[in-house]
Amino acid sequence: MSGTNVWTRSRERMRRFPELFAQCSGEAAAYGKCVTATTTGRQELRKDLCVKEFDALKTCFVTAAKKGVK
Amino acid sequence: MNVFDRTMKRRQKNWAASLQDSDKYDYLRDEVGSRVADRVYDITRTFPLALEIGCGKSHIAEHLHKEVVKQLFLTDISEKSLRNTRESEIPTNCVMADEEFLPFKENTFDLVVSSLSLHWINDLPGALRQINQVLKPDGVFIGAMVGGETLYELRCSLQLAELEREGGFSPHVSPYTAVTDLGNLLGQAGFSMLTVDIDEIQVHYPGILEVMSDLQGMGESNCAWNRKSMLHRDTILAAAAIYQEMYGSEDGSVPATFEILYMIGWKPHDSQAKPAKRGSANVSFGDLSKIGQPSTKDKS
Repeated sequence: MSGTNVWTRSRERMRRFPELFAQCSGEAAAYGKCVTATTTGRQELRKDLCVKEFDALKTCFVTAAKKGVK
Repeated sequence: MNVFDRTMKRRQKNWAASLQDSDKYDYLRDEVGSRVADRVYDITRTFPLALEIGCGKSHIAEHLHKEVVKQLFLTDISEKSLRNTRESEIPTNCVMADEEFLPFKENTFDLVVSSLSLHWINDLPGALRQINQVLKPDGVFIGAMVGGETLYELRCSLQLAELEREGGFSPHVSPYTAVTDLGNLLGQAGFSMLTVDIDEIQVHYPGILEVMSDLQGMGESNCAWNRKSMLHRDTILAAAAIYQEMYGSEDGSVPATFEILYMIGWKPHDSQAKPAKRGSANVSFGDLSKIGQPSTKDKS
């Protein structure tokens, strides 16, 4: 078996995803609600329709990741 | 019809079989395998020679007894799975063969079973015809495949996430056979006395990543030719949020639905009941209204 390569390192990083995601459940719910509103409402989903909520989610996620590494 | 990359599927199955903890991902196959074995028991016959197609690590044989099946041939495209087959009391022979190119003579087997592997076959009508050929007359094929609305939660979450984040979407979940098409497929392959039924298994996971990594561990990763080779990290994050919001339950877990289609088909034989000749009726449907109570006559 080879040593660490880009696939093993990226898999290690992905393993942290669930715990980091759990720390941002509020922002995730807000983004989810924004997207699912388009499935019932009259507005069609297009690119960056919910970009504000997604940016909030991503910032929360990245901060949680940085906190964990330090 | 070339939808799936079979070489890639073989590599994925080999990789999944060589994992240290590959038993952890066997729950779905074990469950469906035991249900297929139940259906074998429902037929009150002994099968001297049986074939299992796409057996993986052989999840059906461990539930069968020597009295019902005397000898079993296991085939799969993945060599590593065949080397790690489960123990069973039936004498088995392992053959590495592709489901679409069965290396067996006509009229050889009394029973053919297949559990959760037909959904990766490119030419399903052709494969069913080959199964019909290797069966003896009055032989039976019992199969279980995923179909219908399997993994619709995953498919919808990824679709909405890609649409919102990237402006378009590509298929990530493979196309499945609808239960209504299955009857036609089996009929065209030459099977008679068909039974098709559908069962839904819902498994709860902590989140979308666990769904995807379990599917990967089962050897069920996407191998369609038109698959996108990467998933952006933004899309994964968005899909996780959408999955949780649309389908999540109170305790935070998300469901993944597997619709299993079970099919039973027989190779025609003279001893099987045939539809009666036209004009041979001796009672009329009009007499139905004259029946006051349900009759207890058994139907021939």
